[in-house]
Amino acid sequence: MKRQFTWLDKTIIAFAGFFFIAPLIAAAEYSARGYGNKGHTLSNYSWIIHQLGFSPALWTSLRIAAITILIVLVLMVPTVVYVHLGGRKYRRLVEILCLLPIVIPVVSLAIGAQVAMPKSLQSTSYELCFFYVVVAMPYVYRTLDIGLQSVSLSTLVEASHSLGANWIKTLLMVIIPAIRSSTTGALFITFALSLGEYTLAVLLHFHTFPTWATNASQQNIYGSIAISVTTLGGAWILLILVAFLPRIKSLFARKERVA
Amino acid sequence: MVIADELAAPTRLMGGSGSSRPKFKFDKSILGLLPLFLFLGYFLLYPIASIISASIHDNKHHLTFVLYKNLFTGNYREAFIGSFKLAFYSMIVSGILGALICWSVVKTSGVVRTITSSAAGVLANTGGVPLAFMFIAAFGQEGLITKLLLKVFHWDLYGGSFDLYNFWGILLVYCFFQIPLMVIIFTPALENLRVEWIEANESLGGSKLQYFRHVLIPVLLPSFFSACLLLFASAFSAFATAAAMSNGSIPLAPLFIGNLVNGNVIPDQANQGDAMAMGMIIVSLFVIAAYLLLLRVTRKR
Amino acid sequence: MDLHGSTVEFRNVKRTFGTVKALDDFSLTIKPGELVTLLGPSGCGKTTALRILAGIDKEHEGIVEIDGKDMSQVPANKRNIGMVFQAYSLFPNMTAIENVAYGLRVRGVDSHKREARARELLDLVGLSTQADRRPTQLSGGQQQRVALARALAIEPSVLLLDEPLSALDAQVRAQLREEIRRIQSTIGISTLFVTHDQEEAMAISDRVGVMNKGVLEQIDEPGKLYNKPRTPFVAGFVGLTNYIPAVMDSKSTVLVLNQVLDVSDHSAEAKKGEEVRALVRPEELQVDKANDGSTVITKSFLGPVTRLGIDVGSPALIYAELTSKEARKFDTGDNVKLSINSDSVMIEYV
Repeated sequence: MKRQFTWLDKTIIAFAGFFFIAPLIAAAEYSARGYGNKGHTLSNYSWIIHQLGFSPALWTSLRIAAITILIVLVLMVPTVVYVHLGGRKYRRLVEILCLLPIVIPVVSLAIGAQVAMPKSLQSTSYELCFFYVVVAMPYVYRTLDIGLQSVSLSTLVEASHSLGANWIKTLLMVIIPAIRSSTTGALFITFALSLGEYTLAVLLHFHTFPTWATNASQQNIYGSIAISVTTLGGAWILLILVAFLPRIKSLFARKERVA
Repeated sequence: MVIADELAAPTRLMGGSGSSRPKFKFDKSILGLLPLFLFLGYFLLYPIASIISASIHDNKHHLTFVLYKNLFTGNYREAFIGSFKLAFYSMIVSGILGALICWSVVKTSGVVRTITSSAAGVLANTGGVPLAFMFIAAFGQEGLITKLLLKVFHWDLYGGSFDLYNFWGILLVYCFFQIPLMVIIFTPALENLRVEWIEANESLGGSKLQYFRHVLIPVLLPSFFSACLLLFASAFSAFATAAAMSNGSIPLAPLFIGNLVNGNVIPDQANQGDAMAMGMIIVSLFVIAAYLLLLRVTRKR
Repeated sequence: MDLHGSTVEFRNVKRTFGTVKALDDFSLTIKPGELVTLLGPSGCGKTTALRILAGIDKEHEGIVEIDGKDMSQVPANKRNIGMVFQAYSLFPNMTAIENVAYGLRVRGVDSHKREARARELLDLVGLSTQADRRPTQLSGGQQQRVALARALAIEPSVLLLDEPLSALDAQVRAQLREEIRRIQSTIGISTLFVTHDQEEAMAISDRVGVMNKGVLEQIDEPGKLYNKPRTPFVAGFVGLTNYIPAVMDSKSTVLVLNQVLDVSDHSAEAKKGEEVRALVRPEELQVDKANDGSTVITKSFLGPVTRLGIDVGSPALIYAELTSKEARKFDTGDNVKLSINSDSVMIEYV
């Protein structure tokens, strides 16, 4: 048996692709329907933007996402870098801790947040930022860990030291460039998660974009499906862009060399 | 050693307690992890501890396990059983279909591979209202696919017992993000299959069937099971999608907790919700523990 | 265990991958009980030939026969061939003894007999104490020995080895190749061995075939291959060779290092005065102290021999090998004279 890509494989993938894209297309078609079967229109999409609460909700979610990213940047990145450089023996411990949130269902975390957090924190939607960091932690850690491993950061730092650079220079010229791509990936995951997170937001009674979208759906089914299509389609396009980024980069690099 | 001193520097940058006269055999380097410990301690462990504490007390602050006992009765029991059922079926269907699709995906490369990988990533993370409404749009009474099936195949989706809002409907929706998740989790296991095994089997006189029976299946089985366990955990804990799809007819544990929290709180039941939340954590813990055990078996190979 | 030695024959086998000719009119006969090695750089076609014989590669022209039987209609799993791969070929879910017994199991041999035979073979390769270990618990060398035992368990008519030692440490490599040769000659099984390591090839083979870009350039006993290479490629690939700039003195003689020597490989196109390169082995050079204008630049102690790198004015250093005892007379910076201890040299046209 050869591991060749046969027509059977192509069929399977084609079928799978169809089954997963079909609902999206169906939803897109649905969302473009006008009332009373008057043909297709994009009016439902403009409806989204003009709805009451759209801007505040979106703005809130963006703010929360920004703070969450900041916390990840300040907390997770230095920690993982530290584990790879100096604290190597704690690697297993940190790995277990960072993957721990996966065990906890988000619902339960929400309950815990309600029970444990002080009123002062619970009154601001920024409370979500901290819990989003917890929820994102496994994915963030994985991304950073794999990225730093492949770069063998400790070797680079030792080389930098042996060449005479001090810690600041090493940080700026070696460490930061080395971790740039995996950090970007981790932040991207965090961003996507923060924007789309629903469970914690709704159980803790905050008004973020996802909760707003759910509420708005009560009024206009077509409009809310339009939101769904936008969210999913947008996420897909973004992810494909990110996936093809290396190729695009090398395209530019090649041009530079020729020039 | 000069380097050791330099490595202590980051702890100061991060606000760790810095250097101190080492009186005991205290390993300073763990201080670099202090921020992480504090953060997780407060935002993860403390809430869980609070839940545990609340769940073993009644509203008169007496120590009791009755709240946990209650989980095995009445509506609570229904909710857990409902979640188990959903997670189990979703795991079986998505596990098998996902593995089959994965088999073909692993053979692709280049552009096709990148697209399928990123597609799997997006699909696995869809959920909640966007997903639910997409399915309503596609498979609902007025949905495009429903209409298509009627026109082209003369198959009335709603003629039988199918209803997007009943158990099977929700299962269908869950499979939508579970199957891509399976593809993502299971791909590494398939990529670790060596072509040399197939060739060795051939040179030793084995047929394709014998290869399947003696090599392929035994090698893949642990990875398959561990992947399925992750699917189970994911389906069991899902909230957003369940909330969006449910009209109250299906008992599911996460939704139950949600109701207990969302202002449907009757004073006596405040702590019951905590017990339920803890119940979910315990189930999840068991599943992940089984997953890790299986992983160790796989790694030994 | 004694296996009947089979005859293997390749006749005019051609194999192309797209536009690349992996095998070009390849013909070879392996006599019963013989160990033939195909030696060459990557891409020369040696592995292709092996895989065609194994039946794994089916798209080729030409005839492949085992004991006179045409193999073109015989599928890989019916050819009764034992194959050892470079690495990773042991089934990870089975212990060593289960791996060895596998070929017998698929043939329906009952478990008693299987186990007995598997143990016999593990004994042969010296691993009877490791029978119940899994592949990941064995070292690289041990894994390859299990692979060898597994291949031999089915009593194949031919044994194929595809660079079996390339993934191993140098010391293990040297030990294991001797063992492979010992087992192979004891059993008397016809064997095709593929490698890019010429020391390995020369050490254990009855005959070595040097391949280059799909062509079998020369097949001979190791000694003949080394001393009488028939093409410049063979001369350069097998053993160390110096390429010394020289000038044709006539159609059949060449002036090199102030000596006139016969050309071993005559070519009608040779002209007097044409610039060529003479291929000379390091041990064929004689080094004497002189004021000639050649300087010793490097001196490398290699144990029994010492290699001197000498600058004769050509772009590359010329390497001469002397016994370390003789080499004691010389040091870097010395002025020396080189002469060639041979009546004829091989020529390469530039």
